[in-house]
This record gives sequence, structure tokens and C-alpha cells, in this order.
Amino acid sequence: MSCGNPTTEPDALMQRRKKYDKTKNCVKCKDTQGNIVIRHAVYCKNCFIPLLVHKFRRTLEPSVNPKPDGPRRTALKPAGNLLVGLSGGLGSSVLLDLIYKCYIALDKSTMPAEGGRDHPRHERVWKKVTVCYVEVCDAFPGMKDRTEEIARFVSRYDELDFVPLRIQDAFDRTWWEKTGRKASFSDMGVSLSDESLLIESLSAGHPDPLTALRTYLSSLPTPTAIHTSIQILTRVLLLHTALQTSSSHLLLGTSLTSLAVSLISGVAQGAGFNVREETMEEWTPDPETRPTPDVVLDDVKDGADKGKKQLKRTVRVVRPLRDIGMKECAAWAWWSHIPIVGKEKWVWPGAKPGIGTLTKDFILGLEQDYPSTVSTIVRTCGKLAPKGEVSGKCILCGRPAQRGVQEWKARISIRSQPPPPPADPTDGSAPPVPVVPESKSDTRPSLTPYLCYPCHTTLTSRSARPVPSPWPNAAQASVVALPVWTEARLGAGAGGEPSPADEEIMVAKKMGQAEMKGIVNEFLLDD
Amino acid sequence: MPPRTCALCNDARAILKRPKTGQQICKECFFYVFETEVHNTITEARLFKPGDRVAIGASGGKDSTVLAHVMKTLNERYKYGLELFLLSIDEGITGYRDDSLETVKRNQQQYDMPLKILSYDELYGWTMDAIVAQIGKKNNCTFCGVFRRQALDRGAAILNVDHIVTGHNADDIAETVLMNIMRGDIARLGRCTSICTQGEDTIKRSKPFKYAYEKEIVMYAYFKKLDYFSTECIYSPDAYRGHARAFLKDLEAARPSAIIDIIHSGEAFEIKEDVKATQKIQQTCRRCGYMSSNELCKACTLLEGLERGMATAAVTDRARKRLDADGPAPENLRTIPMFQLPSAPRQKPTTTAVEGTT
Repeated sequence: MSCGNPTTEPDALMQRRKKYDKTKNCVKCKDTQGNIVIRHAVYCKNCFIPLLVHKFRRTLEPSVNPKPDGPRRTALKPAGNLLVGLSGGLGSSVLLDLIYKCYIALDKSTMPAEGGRDHPRHERVWKKVTVCYVEVCDAFPGMKDRTEEIARFVSRYDELDFVPLRIQDAFDRTWWEKTGRKASFSDMGVSLSDESLLIESLSAGHPDPLTALRTYLSSLPTPTAIHTSIQILTRVLLLHTALQTSSSHLLLGTSLTSLAVSLISGVAQGAGFNVREETMEEWTPDPETRPTPDVVLDDVKDGADKGKKQLKRTVRVVRPLRDIGMKECAAWAWWSHIPIVGKEKWVWPGAKPGIGTLTKDFILGLEQDYPSTVSTIVRTCGKLAPKGEVSGKCILCGRPAQRGVQEWKARISIRSQPPPPPADPTDGSAPPVPVVPESKSDTRPSLTPYLCYPCHTTLTSRSARPVPSPWPNAAQASVVALPVWTEARLGAGAGGEPSPADEEIMVAKKMGQAEMKGIVNEFLLDD
Repeated sequence: MPPRTCALCNDARAILKRPKTGQQICKECFFYVFETEVHNTITEARLFKPGDRVAIGASGGKDSTVLAHVMKTLNERYKYGLELFLLSIDEGITGYRDDSLETVKRNQQQYDMPLKILSYDELYGWTMDAIVAQIGKKNNCTFCGVFRRQALDRGAAILNVDHIVTGHNADDIAETVLMNIMRGDIARLGRCTSICTQGEDTIKRSKPFKYAYEKEIVMYAYFKKLDYFSTECIYSPDAYRGHARAFLKDLEAARPSAIIDIIHSGEAFEIKEDVKATQKIQQTCRRCGYMSSNELCKACTLLEGLERGMATAAVTDRARKRLDADGPAPENLRTIPMFQLPSAPRQKPTTTAVEGTT
């Protein structure tokens, strides 16, 4: 049998699959030849632009008012300012462009026709809009610093404030103080060398932020953990910046495609309890990490929250591009001439791809054969709710933690119990003592009870083979510094944390006779 | 380099690295932790009661061979008081099932357990070879999967057992969680991590290997010198499941805990109440009495399609409509015998579920 010759045998070539369902004409206006195919439907450029704006507004606007489902047709009145997280990638660049056109420049091409000139829709929604960029170049060797390029990109749009941060700010007590918090906590760190995650004091004092970051990353057990940790640090830096700028909303440029990837990646890292937060999240700072009132009051005089009490501040994280795929974002960027700065891959010599990278490659590949995959993933996850009780917030990522995860882990993988003496089942002797989850006999303070499942897994789950560190020459420390918000909560004795049994982890004080008597008094008989 | 000592007993020489935890341990400790974790799974979920008659779904592959061994061991060690049976389904695939059924027959001798083999031919009048001859290699996994599920229940009813245990392992469950999310099967996603499923009209079915890694099952069989048949089905594999499996293997290579982390995720969410309300209510098939989401169960629809020469009838909605448009089923259509749950009342000890305190 020989290979077919396509020039002489028409059957030798496989028929090319049509990319669209019916005709090449736009499915909306019907008479113009289409410019883009979105999941088998053809659109022309003129119909695509309003369609994308409609999808963007439809996702964002129901979340603008403090009461999400309240009447919003007449007015959008957010409780504070707006913070936009910009990474320099496609999604966040398109998001910034849309925010600017729809809510700052009030571009007529983005407004629905009905309503008239004086419709409240034509008023500015957020009084102040800030763009925050977190530069991660110091986390990886040889990565280019893009802060200036990003600043130039932001300067294309007027009336925007720009806040550049660096990833090591997560370990910077000066930054923490700048955001209005107190940084008067002791030099405590965690030992990442074994699974106990013991909290110990930093023998050489608190390192500088860059050293702290690199030591922390170098001590993590897998490439997945490094990627995930940087995502967490970035997210929490953005949340605290939102608080600092009196923003009620933090908008992220997560497209439908990236949301599907992060949902599957989250599930693969044990974050099923937080599926809801991946789509939309209401974040409230811990009482001990809230800005001190005098700092906040300065902002309140200028912000939209004037006259309101600040102590119950929440930041609503919204992903307004969650119904818009990567391809649609790319088309918008192309037709709007947006100069995308881009992002570098988070790699270092010898590193294997982590779960996030594998998931992204897998989903994008699957989408070629099954075009509705990303939309199906997002819709399916939208039908899920967390199961079980919440046990406070994770000390590292700030998301709700599920109760009982350590007991679950202990039950399904035995890690420390020695085996009983071998018993021959046929000798009629008594059966071995049944196994119960090991009790925590180690009373040394540990970070474990204050972590959610995915964060605990991030810090403890190891690869089968040793993993090259991004900073092999970084000083190896047995105890590594923690992000400032974690230190702040530890310094406050993880107050407000109900798990486990409200135990105090940092203070070990000897109980006096009188105190003990006070506890057991009702069980004591009179002399 | 001096030999490493076992991370669990700190005494014997470590001879393996546990795929699940990465710990280097000795053989005896491996047997101990593997068996004890399965015991913990059984006691935590209170799967059995003393006196229960339990059928082990036995295919002759690694999972069911190890399951039969572990169930027998734990039943004796912890005095569960179970009466164990082997139940095999013969799909009728020449060259695929023949050898593995021999393994099952050997297990019957080794473990002294009664064995029941039920064939598709006996139950449905069709072997998988005959089905593939009619419909081709595409979609035949649908037939095999639907027919096997019913066949296990019917075999269990014949054996008059209370409970079927299957060898589904942690890898299978993690793969199913991913697959159900990716293809939007919300009903299955809601129940795929349950260790035990039981409807009103079905026999209790559970997965004691829910948290056991596939690699550890193989390791257990290897060290215990259990023989089994590793045979890939000769008909086309389910392409979508194949994608999910390859992805899961990549995840496991990146971080071995990924399998258990996915299962944890699956257990940590549930279907929202308002979505549950829109799910189809389970009913009973009017033709064979088996549980069904429609008037006719999937197996009856598939069988009718085969008998009437329209085999894809239950695979796509369009084909189902074509079948309906073709008129009602002929009177003399071959059907599946009426399903009845094991109803013979048996005297059972009035004790509570098998717990860790036995």
C-alpha cells in the first residue's frame, strides 16, 4: 500500500472540518461576511464588539452594588473605589481597556442605545480607579523587570492611579506598615523541612524581604508549590492594596479559559472547598490585620465611603471576563490595538512543569477537539457549593478552611504509627487494636491547624524526586520567614480562628492554682 | 550509602517508597498500612454489619484480585463476620475475559469463596463480540458499561447478597471526578466520590479501595505474589476517559498527592440545592423493573436498539427519536428478565455496623 497522492487522488486528503455551523455570514446581522468564529458561530467585527461589551457588563454590573441582586438598572452605586489587578497578560490588559472605555471615558460605542443622554448609566461609577501591578521577576532567575513597560501601558489611559508592587512586599514589614497596619510582631517563622510545620523563632532575626522571599520559595517542596505560592502572594497583596485604596471591588482579568484552568488546577490541588471563591469572592480582613482607624479615616474623607464605618470593610473580587474566552479577548485586543506587554513563563533551570502548567496545556489541547470544554467546566463548577463546616480562614491564603481536614488526612494515609506485632489470623488470638487517627501528642506550636487543605498540601506534599530550587545558592534556612499577614495573625495568637478548639498557639503560660480551680470549681466539693 | 531504615517501624530495612506518601518503608509495614487504611475506610463509612453477605465484583484483574485477598484478611483479622462471595461478569469478548476468568476460578479455590459467573449472553442474549459486530467499535463502551452495571446487580440478586464491593481505586475515582467536571455530568459528579451508593431499588454497592493508589495495589499484589491478568480491552477505549487518565498520570508525576487531593476536592463540594431540584427523579423501568431515569432503563433501550437493528438508539437523542418514530417495540422483542431485589428474609444478628472497636 502506498501513500495517496493528493494531486491525482482527491480522496487522499482528509476533508477539512468546517469551523462554523452554517454560513460564513455573521449570525447577528446576517448580511456581512464574518470575521471571527466563536464556538461554531460566526460574527462580523461590528457585531462582535457590542457582543463582548454586553457580556462584560452582564457579568460585572450585578456585582457592583453592595446588595448584589438589588435594582441596578437605574444606578450603579458601589460602596468604595475600584482596584484593577494588572498582570500584563492578555486578559487583564483587555479588562483595563474595557473598564476605561465603559466606566471612565464613557465611550459611546460601549453604551447601549436606549436610555437617553441623562441616563444614570452615563455617570461615572467608581470615583477613583487604581491599577495595581505585582512584579514577580525577583522570584525567578533571569526574569525581566516589566514595571516600566506596565507603567507606560497604564499611562495610555488617563485618570488612573498606578500602584506598582513587588512580590517580595509580601515579606516586607515596611510595606505592611505603609498599608496602615502595625508591624510589631516577633520574629517567628516555620520549619518547612518536615510535615509538622513547626513554628519557631528566626534565629538570625527577620531577613530582608528579598532574601525572605527566595528562602521561602527555595524551601517549598515542588514546582507546583512555588507557582501556587506566588499566585497566593499576588492575590493577597492585591486584596490588601484594595483595602488600602478604599476599594470595594477588585477586578481581575481572568477569562473563561483561564478560569477553567484555575478551577481544574484548584481541584487537582485539593481546593474543592473553595471552588466558589475561584469565581467570585467576598474578602474581609482579619480583625488584627485591619488598618488602624486613623489611617483609614484619612482615606474615607476622599473616598466613596465617606461617613461610613470602616471596620466591616469587605473587598469583592470579581472576574468580569469569566464569560469571555481567550480567543475573544485576543480579537478585542487586536481590533482595539492594545499593546499587550505579556508575561514570562515561571521557569528555572531543571524545573518540571507544575500542576498549573500541566492543566493549562491539557485544557487548551482538549479544547481543540471539544470546543465547549472550558465553558462546560465553568458552568459545572458554578453548580457546586462547599460541603461541610467552615473552620475559620486560612492563615496563608485567607480563604475559608474546611473543618476536619487533618483528621481526614491522618485516616487515609497512615504516616507515623508503628505496626502492631504480627498476628496470625488463624491462631485464634485477639485481633490487633483498631487504628484510630493518631492523637496529636506533639504539643509544640505548628502552623498546620491554621491552614486550609490546599495550603497545607502546598507546604508539605513532596515530589517523588528532588526538585531543583530556583535559587540554589540562596542561604538554606531551617526556619523560613512567613508572609507579613501570616506573621500578623500569629503575632495576635491567630485570634478569631476557631480551629482547633480555639487553642492559643504562641503563648504557653503556666496555669496557676487559682486559675485551675476557677475552671473546675463547679466539680469541687466543699471542704 | 548505608541502607535506609523503615520510616514507620524504624527497625527493618526500607525496601520501597510509598507512592501515596513518599515514605521509605519495609515490606511488613507496607502490608500493615495498606490493609489498615482499607480497614479505616470500611469502619469510618460503617460499610458492613456482622452477618452481611457480600459479593466481591471479581474480574481477575489486579484491583479485584487484591480486593478479594484484603477482604478475606480483614474479615478474619477484625472479625467482621461477613460471608464473602465472588461474582464475575463474562462480557463475551473472545481473548479478553477467558484468561482472567481462570484467575477468578483460582481465587475461588484459594480463598474458599463461592463463585458466580454471569454472562451477557445468558442475561441479554448478546455477547460483546456480537454487539461490536453490529455497531462497530465506536460507542461500544456505552453498551458494555450499562450492561455490566445491571449484570452485577442481577448476579448479586441471584447470590442473594446484601452488598457488592468493587475494586475501584483512588486513581479511578480521581479520574471520574475530573471527567465529570469536564463533560458537565453534574449528577454523576455529585455521587462519584461516595464510598457507598444505594438506591431504593438497588443493592448496596461500595468501594473499599477508594483511597488506595493503583500503584500500591500493584505493589501489594507483587509482594504478596498474587497473580492477576493485566489485559487491555481489545475494543476501542473510551477516548475521553483516556484523555483524563493521561492527564491524571501527569498530575501524579508532578505531585503524587494529586490523586488524593482530587478525591478530597470531590468530597469537599456538593451540588447546590437549586440544581438538585432540577435533576431527574429516579423511577423503575416498566419493562425490566431496574432503576431508571426514564420510562425505559438504558439497558432495555440499548437492547431494543440492538434487536431492532438500530443500535445507537440509546447513545444519541436523535437516534432515540428515530427509534420512537419507527413505531412501538414488537410483541416478541427479546427483553431482560424482570429485576427483583434479594427478598428472601434471612435471620441476621441484631448487631451494629462493623466499627473500629470490634
